[in-house]
Amino acid sequence: MSYAAYVIAAYGVFVVVLLWDFVAPRIRTRQVLRAVRLLAARRQAARNAPSPQELKR
Amino acid sequence: MSDMNPVVRWFHQLGSPPYFDRFAARWAPWAYALGVATMAVGMYLGLFVAPADYQQGDSFRILYVHVPSAWMSLAMFALMALYGAIALVWRIKLCEILAMACAPIGAAFTAITLVTGSIWGKPMWGTWWDWDPRLTSQLVLFFLYLGVIGLYAAIEDRRAAARAASLLAVVGVVMLPIIRYSVVWWNSLHQGQTIRVFGESSMDPSMLPPLLWMVAGTKFWALGSLLARARADNLQREAGKDWVRALAEAPR
Repeated sequence: MSYAAYVIAAYGVFVVVLLWDFVAPRIRTRQVLRAVRLLAARRQAARNAPSPQELKR
Repeated sequence: MSDMNPVVRWFHQLGSPPYFDRFAARWAPWAYALGVATMAVGMYLGLFVAPADYQQGDSFRILYVHVPSAWMSLAMFALMALYGAIALVWRIKLCEILAMACAPIGAAFTAITLVTGSIWGKPMWGTWWDWDPRLTSQLVLFFLYLGVIGLYAAIEDRRAAARAASLLAVVGVVMLPIIRYSVVWWNSLHQGQTIRVFGESSMDPSMLPPLLWMVAGTKFWALGSLLARARADNLQREAGKDWVRALAEAPR
């Protein structure tokens, strides 16, 4: 194949950019769902925690 | 609602964030898979089956990634402006999300167009870059995409941000005919139109099938990416709602 390095480089750029395009929304979706899960767990833990001694006196 | 046309009812349902989330989660993988399969066929035909060009040798094979990406860069901008206009006029939240989801996809295809064009230009024109009307207008399109992405990220209120960025998208549509006709209106180093959807193409028919596969493949891919990106933005906007919490806590 003539100009093989140029052809491979062009197809490589195409594949790499589309891979980023595939991964980026997945990472964002996971981050959002993780943040929501952690916040819910923190709120649940705060609800279940015993009241501080100071308030009982 | 019960006597409503089923298609109209479906559009109304699609506007509901949880319904859209389920729809996007279900169909995005299929669109991606169809895109990958179609592009794999196109790449195989383009790299190994299509004959080499009598003047350009095998370097012409770069057009099978360059041309579909260039068409997608224009198509995504037109789609973004359309969704943006609907969002501005009717204040439909889903259209704001879809308009903003178009921007990074279009920017990705524009970047591919610029870089692959540059890679092709080095052996054929003897230079990586020239301030030619087609190349320069395509670069301006890339900056417009970055402007839309940046504006959407810069304003805290998501709805106000989407409306401001949509306005930029609508105004930016003026670039599309400039890019399309730049090779006609000005003396351009870039070649003129060789492939026509309507009418006879000046490209040899033996070179056409890989291009058609790649054009179809990039469309399917963009659809998958649009759904995935819109889903992510929809989830972020709705993060405080019970249905998102239920989704986040659901076992996978």
